[in-house]
Amino acid sequence: MTNEAQSVAEAVVGEPAIEKQPFNLLVWMSSRGIFVFTTVLVVVAAIFIDGFASLDNITDVFNRAAPIGIVAVGMTFVVISANYLDLSVVAQVATAAVVLIAVSNESNIPAAMALAFVIALLYGLVNGVAVGVFKANAVIVTLSTTFIGLGILRWFSGGSIYFGPQDGAIRSFGLAKIGPFPLSMIVLILMTLILSFVLTRTNFGFLVRSYGSNRDATRLAGVNTAWVVIGAFTITSIAAMIGGFVLGAFSNTAVSSMSTGFDFRALAAIIVGGTSVFGGRGSVLRTLLGVVFVSVLTNIMVLSGLGFGVQQMAIGALIVAAVSIDSLARKASGT
Amino acid sequence: MSENPTTETTRQDAGGRAIIEARNVVKRFGGATAVDDVSIEVAPGEIYGLVGENGAGKSTLMRVLAGILTPDHGSVVVDGRELEAGSTRAALEAGISLVHQELSLVPELTVAENIVLGTTPVQAGFIKKREMKKIASDALEEIRVQVDLDEPIVRLSVALRQFVEIARAIARKPRVLILDEPTATLTPAETDYLLDMLERLAGQGLAIIYISHRIPEIFRICNRVSVLRDGHLVDTVSISDIKPNEIVDKMVGRELKQELETSRTKVAAGDVVLQARGIKAPGVNGIDLDVRAGEIVGLGGLVGAGRTELVRAIVGADIKSAGTVTINTDGTMRRVNSYRSAISHGFAYVPEERRTDGLALTMTVSDNIALPNRSQLSRYSVLMRGKIGTFAKELADAVGLRPPEIQREAGDFSGGNQQKVVLAKWLGRKPDVIILDEPTRGVDVGAKVEIHRLVRDLAEGGTAVLVVSSDLPELLDLADVIHVVRDGRIAGTLSRDEADEKSVMSLASGESQVRGL
Ligand SMILES: Nc1ncnc2c1ncn2[C@@H]1O[C@H](COP(=O)(O)OP(=O)(O)OP(=O)(O)O)[C@@H](O)[C@H]1O
Ligand SMILES: [Mg+2]
Repeated sequence: MTNEAQSVAEAVVGEPAIEKQPFNLLVWMSSRGIFVFTTVLVVVAAIFIDGFASLDNITDVFNRAAPIGIVAVGMTFVVISANYLDLSVVAQVATAAVVLIAVSNESNIPAAMALAFVIALLYGLVNGVAVGVFKANAVIVTLSTTFIGLGILRWFSGGSIYFGPQDGAIRSFGLAKIGPFPLSMIVLILMTLILSFVLTRTNFGFLVRSYGSNRDATRLAGVNTAWVVIGAFTITSIAAMIGGFVLGAFSNTAVSSMSTGFDFRALAAIIVGGTSVFGGRGSVLRTLLGVVFVSVLTNIMVLSGLGFGVQQMAIGALIVAAVSIDSLARKASGT
Repeated sequence: MSENPTTETTRQDAGGRAIIEARNVVKRFGGATAVDDVSIEVAPGEIYGLVGENGAGKSTLMRVLAGILTPDHGSVVVDGRELEAGSTRAALEAGISLVHQELSLVPELTVAENIVLGTTPVQAGFIKKREMKKIASDALEEIRVQVDLDEPIVRLSVALRQFVEIARAIARKPRVLILDEPTATLTPAETDYLLDMLERLAGQGLAIIYISHRIPEIFRICNRVSVLRDGHLVDTVSISDIKPNEIVDKMVGRELKQELETSRTKVAAGDVVLQARGIKAPGVNGIDLDVRAGEIVGLGGLVGAGRTELVRAIVGADIKSAGTVTINTDGTMRRVNSYRSAISHGFAYVPEERRTDGLALTMTVSDNIALPNRSQLSRYSVLMRGKIGTFAKELADAVGLRPPEIQREAGDFSGGNQQKVVLAKWLGRKPDVIILDEPTRGVDVGAKVEIHRLVRDLAEGGTAVLVVSSDLPELLDLADVIHVVRDGRIAGTLSRDEADEKSVMSLASGESQVRGL
């Protein structure tokens, strides 16, 4: 059935078939612009930057981008629910890596993964209950759980760094490829597709968007809003755990400081992708494009020999621009 | 209605030199033209009426005048000089003050802080408190409203907020005052008060542009009236040259069949479905209430009497301090303990504040309608898109949404049409009990008739209906029985035959004689 085919396509692309809307540049930039910007950037890089279009370089870009990307597609739920961000992904990613490498010790990987999964549920529950039930501010709550989480991790590891064996199973996972594609990239894309489906097509995703748009109206529609918030944080936590596995497996090391900056870099990808920091509007697929955009831009700067300082400045400026466009687009569309 | 005789003489004639003009204003939102080549001019001392159906472009035109929107074409001229387009500051400096259709106060700030907001007197970065209070109290005195300057807005009734909003406009010492449906939230007595006030202000030389869906108000205070339809200026006439039904015809562009269904075929009311006993909450001091299947129970009274608080306590949207609510359907009695249990037991609640409580403005109309109906629109927790589309379309058509585009965001619709979306959300559930708080606020005449018909249909289908309305004719038209609320108690109950404007108002105010009636 063509109808079904269309809705499947919609589910994957994550954009409902909207009737023709009047054109507005700002609105376009914040909603669809990232598709074009990313394509243009990749094409420009391929033509003008030496070494960009090699398979090795592309693989490297994805390997670096995948852990943050996986975190970002999950955290998109928290941003859309109008709860700013989940800072505690920093602690969660490191915890997952430590559990995978140190706790499993190569011998019992499934059990270690299960343990990490339980920890993710705990993070989701604690963050979600504090924000959704007790109405505490998400930034403060997740800043606190970051402290708690990193504290526990440092106490457990005594500040030491763990290395996996050079020829172990974890290492081979981290370097695995399916065809020419690194496994980390496949995981990122799978996560994007699944979460895009959850956000656009399921009841839960619908409630996250609705809650982010107007929490009072959503409550008055008879929705159990506490579960919506807990769900959004839990999805973020599960994504963070998976991101931690990928990071740990790829680098074959685990240390409590390995994920410093993940919170902000994930947020950068989400915002550059066009998800609104005001909540209610956004898409998982565009977060993926945001990840690609930021990663390719960083890669271009590295290949061009620009220093870390310049890279940081550029990413910072990019975010200011994206957030401003978001606000202006809101104003232009009258809400 | 008694008119203040002195205003008749002080009101200036429309022929005076215009202080403000809109010249050939065009405003498009993307493809749609909200205001299409409209020119109006208003003289000092004149009260200029502006009417039209929901979505006709009234608010849009006013927002152009106030510099909030930049017109695509045309200009705003004050005292013969063209204003900088789309600059609120320029409009403010030229003396144009707009009282918005939707309340725009900051809830957490105090009355005084809100009144001076944007023009706060400061010195070296510090707010000059005394001066701020002086400005605020002067403005309130000007409109003769008494309210504590240090009270935060959240603690005020909707009507008082409306007056504070007007005080804010007055504090800016305007020469042109624009009011966009200011009486939508007011009771007849308060409306009366406001209209008197406007006549007095016009008598002092203020130019006033007045928007309302209530035609009698237009006839009472306006010198001239313009009719907008689909963004076009249909006609501008002197009020003495036109009759109320002619205005309505011009608004809808056809002759509206006046569906004056005052004698509703009374259904033999069934069993008591909603039973509330001893309800207490802030502003509610112990109320018992029954609503039967198929019955429409009205709650009358002044704004601030506790009606909204009462229905919110009944449905559980706010916490009640005492009392029980039970719902009785299919022979089973169930206690309602929380808002969610109320909704799952078959309640529907259309709240008073559509923008904060009723709608997710950045979501589509379709999504808004789907929200309370999602269980019947999803399978295995996956939404059925096609089904949502047809479901939402049907309901949007039932309430007469204009334009009927359910994939547009709710925030893009005019005030009255947003109200229709809030109604549509709940109609789809075929509720056992529906509680409606000001269901037709800001809705135009034609749509109002439609909505009343929908409410009657619900009752005929066996739904127990509880409706709060400050629109007295509406209440008299709809309700089988009216409880009049005063000071959080039921001051009296009137059957359909006993109820008229006088009997309701005298119970509501606690006086036998009511001013203006
Ligand atoms: N920000 C916006 N974006 C898109 N369309 C808009 C926007 N604001 C208004 N419109 C459209 O412009 C038209 C005129 O709206 P407007 O609010 O001026 O109507 P109105 O006459 O004030 O109606 P009401 O009596 O319901 O308040 C409507 O069709 C509305 O949907
Ligand atoms: Mg309007």
